[in-house]
Amino acid sequence: MRYLNLLGSQLRASLLLAMQYRADFLLDGLVEVLWMATAIVPLFVVFQARPTVAGWRFGEALIVMGWFTFLQGVLEGAINPSLASVVEHIRKGTLDFVLIKPADAQFLVSTARFLPWRAINVGTAMVIFAWGFRLLGRAPARRDVAVAAVTTVVAVVVLYSLWILTVSAAFYVVRIDNLSFFFNAIFDAARWPISVFRGAVRFVFTFVVPLALMTTYPAQALLGTLPATTLLAAIAGAALAFTVARVVWNASIARYTSAGG
Amino acid sequence: MSLRNTARAFPTLLRVGFAEAVAYRAEMLVWVLATTMPLVMLALWSTVARDAPVGRYGQPQFVAYFLSTFIVRQLTGSWAFWEMNQDVKSGALGMRLLRPVHPLLAYAAESLAAMPMRVVVSLPLAAVALGVIGAGGVTHDPVLWVLWAVSLAGAWLLTLFIGLAVGCAAFFFESSLKVMDLWLVFFFVFSGYLLPVEILPGGLRAVVDALPFRFQIGLPVELMTGALGRGEALGMLARQWAWVAVSLGSTALMWRRGLRRFEAYGG
Amino acid sequence: MIRVRGLHKHYKVHERPPGLAAALRSVFRRRYKTIAAVDGIDFDIADGERVGFLGPNGAGKTTTLKVLAGLLHPTSGEVSVDGHEPRRRQDAFLKRIMLVLGQKQQLLWDLPPSETFELNRAVYDVPRVQYKETLDELTQLLQLGELVGKPTRTLSLGERMKCELAAALIHRPKVLFLDEPTIGLDVSMQATVRDFVARYNERSGATLILTSHNMDDVARLCPRVIVIDRGKLVYDGTLAELVTRIRPDKRVVLRFSRSVDAADLAALGKVVRHDAGESVLQVSKEAVNAVVSRALAHLPVSDLTVENPPLEEVMSELFARSQARRVAEAAS
Repeated sequence: MRYLNLLGSQLRASLLLAMQYRADFLLDGLVEVLWMATAIVPLFVVFQARPTVAGWRFGEALIVMGWFTFLQGVLEGAINPSLASVVEHIRKGTLDFVLIKPADAQFLVSTARFLPWRAINVGTAMVIFAWGFRLLGRAPARRDVAVAAVTTVVAVVVLYSLWILTVSAAFYVVRIDNLSFFFNAIFDAARWPISVFRGAVRFVFTFVVPLALMTTYPAQALLGTLPATTLLAAIAGAALAFTVARVVWNASIARYTSAGG
Repeated sequence: MSLRNTARAFPTLLRVGFAEAVAYRAEMLVWVLATTMPLVMLALWSTVARDAPVGRYGQPQFVAYFLSTFIVRQLTGSWAFWEMNQDVKSGALGMRLLRPVHPLLAYAAESLAAMPMRVVVSLPLAAVALGVIGAGGVTHDPVLWVLWAVSLAGAWLLTLFIGLAVGCAAFFFESSLKVMDLWLVFFFVFSGYLLPVEILPGGLRAVVDALPFRFQIGLPVELMTGALGRGEALGMLARQWAWVAVSLGSTALMWRRGLRRFEAYGG
Repeated sequence: MIRVRGLHKHYKVHERPPGLAAALRSVFRRRYKTIAAVDGIDFDIADGERVGFLGPNGAGKTTTLKVLAGLLHPTSGEVSVDGHEPRRRQDAFLKRIMLVLGQKQQLLWDLPPSETFELNRAVYDVPRVQYKETLDELTQLLQLGELVGKPTRTLSLGERMKCELAAALIHRPKVLFLDEPTIGLDVSMQATVRDFVARYNERSGATLILTSHNMDDVARLCPRVIVIDRGKLVYDGTLAELVTRIRPDKRVVLRFSRSVDAADLAALGKVVRHDAGESVLQVSKEAVNAVVSRALAHLPVSDLTVENPPLEEVMSELFARSQARRVAEAAS
């Protein structure tokens, strides 16, 4: 309950901040629309040449893109801003202020800052879903939507855990202010169905940086083609990722020494 | 700010910048990892081209194209916009302004000074890439290689100037990084970074031809992979350097206007 | 050396009202107001002088300092520093000045300070021979020793400030602007910085302008002070005179051979402090002689001194007065 209150007040502060920067609002909206358009350009080019790529039709690939857009909103609206503030804390040695607060440090840094404008992405994702299903000539089954909801949770947990791991790296390296850039770059590959990748790349994107769990599986769930065993494995994988992230985070905190002190 | 003074200070600026780059070698590695996008695109387009080539591009052509893209991006990237954004926000720009060296030239020096480290970090990858593509994947024309070097310099300058112009946005907007995002959006699609501009649909090709992005990545890559003949290459180079001049002009303009604002409000 | 006439600096600021609803409204409509950070200031500073800028937070000290350094353009007025117009920031001007900010640094964070020194040598175009001479001198005066070889991020705040000062003086500036140079430093490091700055002024004849909230800095470094409040110059003169003007009273510090009743002391003057070791009385300048002779005659005095009130108190009184005026004006 106390943590819910905390979350509420952190959200409110972010909302207030967001209101100040109206230019950001316009730019955010504009960037988002353009990002989506550019993300779809390669898709167009690919499917202009072929009806299916690695077993995916254009409409189906759009569903993956929709999940990508949704998760990108989560990443940039709720995850990256806090990441930036942690890296800044570590650089300036002000993380001490966070650590002495009587609340879980991981919770505090994870909820430090939100960009409410990024909620635009959720709307954009819905538009893409609608477009994809129109091309496929059907609507998603109710059961599939329920399964997709579960995979959404899995996807967000995995994304979040990866982020905590990335932030932990900032404790060990002298100065990494482009961590979020790095994170985004890797994440960008998630806009493609996992089956377009072969061999080592596919292995990495399934088990090491599990992009498959984030966009391909939810898309399959929504399309009704996700095997039950895969779903269970994904849930287990998310739980594992979360645990590992938590352990690594705690170890990093233990090792942390403030800069210049 | 006299040029003579700056010219004399330039070697030291480069040397110290290099020392900084060495101190940030971990960051450099992160940068290399962060720019592995061409390798992902390589995997993607290889899959697409497995059955039949897309336009002129079969699997080997895609491999050559994206490995070259990777190398070109390493050698033309610049963090200037990032540094400048930080400096404007933190007020550190004030200290730079109080030095008798033009801050834009100092940024340029820092960017250039990071180059040797970038070469060192990306050299092994370049070697592997050459091994994978084989000598057949790149051009054999020495003239084209000379032009390639010129185009690489042009691409670096263009990227630097655009980066600085975007960095100047920090004078006007609370977060100029957004503007950078906006620019990156266009950059990714229209520079040839995600796919060879050649295979874009006709309408988009026209857009690409009117924009500077292709000259940041596409042109050097096309020269390297032998996609352009000598005559065509010279024409493209001329346009690239025209864009370099234009971007230099707009950067100078943005800088002057931004600085006026900075001097009115302070850092 | 420095000449300022009718300096004004106005800012247009966006009003940010508190609350979510108000913030939402401000997305669509913004209200601006003009603030006069500096509102008509005149002064002259001679070659080699050491001057302190005093004033409460937001009084316009730092704005004035930045105008003098050429970082801010004045809204109106005439400013000349060493024969240059600062806002033009010509090389010749920049090579003659330096700004040291206690809260910001110019040292390269991940490299040893020696690299920053070398960079400044090149940037300020200092001849090698002179550079070596200056650096040797600075190294000795500041006892830099091996500090210069360690990455800046590993230095303590005090060590960093010493290196910061050295980096600032590589080109031997004739005008040195110091903004809160001792902020965050421990007492002995503060003294080191102050002594060093004073010696630099004596040896090089450089003009020194300082802003600080630390009155020890001002007392040690600045025979002359300029007090700025709400953008206006409210005092320009010697520090000693400022003290007598604000607090004309003196302090009589007494030590006794045996304990004394508080009531007996109160009969002499206002008791500021009274404890086992010593007692402090506040008395007006005219009454000092009478109080001293009465104390010596009636009380078991073992030791007696007459002092000025502490500078910190003088300043806080000065600023409290201006604060009170502000509140009164806002209410009327």
